[in-house]
Formats: sequence, structure tokens, C-alpha cells
Amino acid sequence: MLKKMLENSNILTKIPSMKFILIDKIVSFELGSTLTATKSVSLAEEYLADHFPVFPVLPGVLLLEGLIESASWLVRKTQDFSNSMVLLQEAKNVRYNSFAAPGMKIQYTVTAKSIDDKSSIFKGIGVCGDTQIVSANLVLRHFNLAEKNDRLARTDRTLIDSMKQRWNLLSGN
Amino acid sequence: MVFFLGHDMRWIWIDKFIEFNSGRSAVSLKNVTLAEEHLHDHFPSFPVMPECLMIEAMAQTAGILVGEARDFQEKVILAKIKNARFFDYVVPGDTIILHAEIESISAEAASTTGKIMRGDDRIAEISLMFSHIDNNLAGKQFPEENFVFTDTFNSLIDGFVTKKASAEQAP
Amino acid sequence: MAMSRDEIFAEVQEVLVDALGLDDDEVTEDATLMGDLGAESIDFLDIVFRLEKSFGIKVPREELFPAESMMNNPEYVSGGKLTVKGLAEFKARMPHTDFSTFEANPDINKLPDLFTVDSIVNFIEQKLAAA
Repeated sequence: MLKKMLENSNILTKIPSMKFILIDKIVSFELGSTLTATKSVSLAEEYLADHFPVFPVLPGVLLLEGLIESASWLVRKTQDFSNSMVLLQEAKNVRYNSFAAPGMKIQYTVTAKSIDDKSSIFKGIGVCGDTQIVSANLVLRHFNLAEKNDRLARTDRTLIDSMKQRWNLLSGN
Repeated sequence: MVFFLGHDMRWIWIDKFIEFNSGRSAVSLKNVTLAEEHLHDHFPSFPVMPECLMIEAMAQTAGILVGEARDFQEKVILAKIKNARFFDYVVPGDTIILHAEIESISAEAASTTGKIMRGDDRIAEISLMFSHIDNNLAGKQFPEENFVFTDTFNSLIDGFVTKKASAEQAP
Repeated sequence: MAMSRDEIFAEVQEVLVDALGLDDDEVTEDATLMGDLGAESIDFLDIVFRLEKSFGIKVPREELFPAESMMNNPEYVSGGKLTVKGLAEFKARMPHTDFSTFEANPDINKLPDLFTVDSIVNFIEQKLAAA
């Protein structure tokens, strides 16, 4: 019984750190179609001290990560979190138009060209007001770890639960 | 006078160079370890190196190769990811080897191709375009100094090249 | 072995499809690079490198896409339009481009419309003939 109590509390569940999340809020979405998220850039973000000294700007790959995360969330929610893992398979024509500096708020919009069970294709764009910051074409792949190794079925379930919690936090419900 | 401010997340995604052929190609290495904090978010209970950071590791390898090819005279920044294709994921305990080659280079820009290997496994193929922003990017204001190639990058190519980037370039 | 115009076009089309992430049928002869195909500054450099590789020739960016450096020169651009000197200079630098409609109203905002797929094909044709 004690074990059950402990399991139900947060003591044994790792309180998630939130360092590598490159969007702040999911603003709107349409299942299977589009999703819009925002990311605020702040001098408090540690890597800005290195990128670059005297000229802090969000690294280009983290702008890409904002688009990847936005697309991944649309896949997860559309598929009702049926796949635990959603990874980037291919990024093409990722163009950087303007720098994203501290104080700016970026809005990412991703549009799905297709979302199949194990694969999806997106076009994504990041803007700050009228200024375009980044654009990209993405292909994602999605799967469950148990497909290759059935001993990881429990990991799939834990990961899916974490993602559902994270979705609630980011989307505000 | 230089102040070194310690911070948790250094923006350096390669550990060392293994080979460096000035103006042509370079090979670098990165160890992936559970001690890297961001892995705990990506993902909880199943950490894998984020694909975007593998792209950054390639960008740093190729960017230093391109910068050195022009004696670090310009600030070299990533302007376009032409293509980045991933074939497998990378987990803590893996060591990835990054191979980069200069495909084309001019006063304004450079194009590179490369692959990431884990042992015999091909993990990724990545082609990039860099902009030399002292010669390009009309109208934007930048600080004079070469803020891109910092001391951290200099220490990586110690022993491989004789010319290094310096914090202040003559105008 | 001389390339026919059709062969040159097919190769240029492939370069643009890859560089800009487009479908074949979007890259038509009269499509403008910036307006229709969405090419941006960095894409011009990417396109130049790819053309060099595809055709085995040197393509100095200043020759194919000279506009950017000239746009900031007050001798060539004044009051949002090309000056007489500017127009002459552009025509001299870009023999691969058709200025006839532009000449009537040389508004610099309309300059990007001159960069069509056609003008790239012309440029390559001229370069290959001269080689």
C-alpha cells in the first residue's frame, strides 16, 4: 500500500526539467492540418552568452527545433499520442532570414502536407511581427520503441504520459 | 581585460578535431553522455541526441573549416540548411564522428557537405550554406570584432592549424 | 558537345527545384525568382554554386545577379528609380535579361521581376557559347 501511495505521488516521478523545449505556448491548432506556437527569446537563456558574445541571437538550429517541436505536437495530438517517439527524418531548404534577439517573440506556424501513421510532411515558418525569421520543409518519422524491442513497451507508455502532460502545460488545458 | 563568466550550457557541440585539411575537409568527434542536461528533456525516459544539435555539431565543424580557409577574416554564420537527413538516432554512450567537406567557397558564401557516422553506421547526411557576413548582408549593423570564432573554437583547432582567429580583427 | 536550350532549361529547372524546394511544374520559363519562386538572398548564392557545379563553368554572382551592390549606389538609383546611367549600367551587366517593359518605368521595386528563369537560361547559354 505504501508502494502504491508513493507511486501515486510525485516522489518517484522525476519532476521534469524544462531546459530543452524551444516553444513556450501552443496558441492554436487544427487536427491534421496546422498548429501555431510561440517562443519568447530572453537573455536568461544560457547559450546566448556563447552565441554570440556581444551579439546574442537564438542559434539557427534552435529556430529549427521550434518548428520541429511545433510539427511534432501536431502529429502527437492528431494521432492521440499513439506513437511515443517523433523525430526529425529530414529538414530541407531551411532558410534564415533575420536574427531572433532577446526581447523578441517568435510565432511558429506549421502546416501538414500529410500525416500518416509513421511519417509526416510539413512546411513551417517562424515570424516576429512582419519579419520572417525562418522557413523550412520537414519530414518527421514516428514510432514506438516496442516495435523493435518489446521490452521497451513500458518506456513507450511512460514517454507517452510525459508528452501528454507536457501538451497540457504548453497548450494551457 | 577579459571576464570569463561561467555558465551551464556552453554552445559547443563538438569535442575535438581528428583531422583538418585546410581549405578542403575536416573530421571531428562528439561524445554523447547522460551528463548533458538537455537529454533529460529529449526525451524523458528515453534520451536521444536532438537532431537539431547534430546539425549544429556539423555546422560548427564545417564553419570552422570554412572560416579557417579564409584565415578567419570574416564572420561565418549558418545561412541555410540545404538538406539534413537522419537514418538513426544517437543515444548516451555513443560517439559520433563528423566528416565535413567544402564543396564551394567564394568571398560571400560557402557550401559544405558532410556525414555523421557512429562506428560503421551512417547516422546523417547534412549539406549547409554559410554566409560571410562582412561581405554580405547589406545594411545590417554588426559589432566590429569577430564574435563568431571565440577562444573556445580556437582551442579546438590547436595543433591543427597555425593561423587562429583573434578577438579583434584589424578593420 | 553543345547543349540545346531545352537541355539547359531542364538542368536549370532541376537546380531551382533543389535549391528552393519546389515542384517541377512551379519552375516555368517566365517565373520570377523572387516573386514567383520565393528565392531570397542566400538562395541566390546557393543557386550560383549549383549552376557552377551543374554546368562546369564559373558563374560570378555579380554577373548573374548584380542588383544588390548597385542598388545602394546613388549614381544608379535615385528617388526609387534607376537613373539613365543606372539603366545603362544594368543593361550592360545583364545582357541575359530583357529590359524592354521595365524601361518605361524603371522602378527599383520592380527590378526583382526581371530575374526570371528565362534570364538564367540565357545567361548559361551565353556563357557556354563563349567557353
